[in-house]
Amino acid sequence: MTGILEATDVDLDVDLDRATREGVARSWRAIVWDDPVNLMSYVSYVFRSYFGYSREEAERLMLLVHTTGKAVVATGHREAMERHVQAMHGYGLQATVARAES
Amino acid sequence: MIVAGRSGEGVRLVLEAEEAMLLSELADQVDSVLLLGSGDDPAIDRLLPNAYPDDVEAADEFERYTRGSLVDGKRQAAQSVRDATDVSDGRDLVEIELDESQAWGWLTFLTDLRLILAERVGVTDDGGYTEDEERDDYLRAAYEWAGFVQGSMLEILDPMDA
Repeated sequence: MTGILEATDVDLDVDLDRATREGVARSWRAIVWDDPVNLMSYVSYVFRSYFGYSREEAERLMLLVHTTGKAVVATGHREAMERHVQAMHGYGLQATVARAES
Repeated sequence: MIVAGRSGEGVRLVLEAEEAMLLSELADQVDSVLLLGSGDDPAIDRLLPNAYPDDVEAADEFERYTRGSLVDGKRQAAQSVRDATDVSDGRDLVEIELDESQAWGWLTFLTDLRLILAERVGVTDDGGYTEDEERDDYLRAAYEWAGFVQGSMLEILDPMDA
């Protein structure tokens, strides 16, 4: 990978190419789905402990799951989203990986 | 069971011998469900959900790479609860101190237990129960009890007024 400072011969095609690659890399989502079993306090505690979200953000996401049925809890590289979803399954949450809609 | 309070960054539990025996038995059963891991068991779908519901190939690959370690982690949590609640020495009360990491093991075990019980007693999407006379009151009581224990632990580990 070429660093910004080394890019002495920038041409538009390369920049577009890089932008596209980065767009693709970030275009995946980890989604947590509502289930009738898990306690709201548990879901919120998992979001805070695992993702490091603030109490407010964790509560917001938990309530989004509870009221709308699902919430996007992370976006980024596919591999990273799969790691998050695996972790959510470890905690007993219903979670899926999906490509972000463009 | 009494969730007696904080123990450092963890939590201290006090169980009557009967409760400990019940928990030990349930933990052993959770371990068995995971050990068998039968594709015919709908509880397995709750414990190990499909990560790609719309993509069979990706779902299979995800399962191939993650299932082993997920099952191992869940079984270890169940086994540690089973061993901690072993009351073969005839005590009346069982006191258990859990550090933060061990407490997570209990929280995830209680979740897995409730996911299995919810499937067995037919908890519906609105949190109620299906009207089925065949379902066992004992399992429903265990489901409610496990939720009460988990909620009590969370009140200690993650107090809302902190």
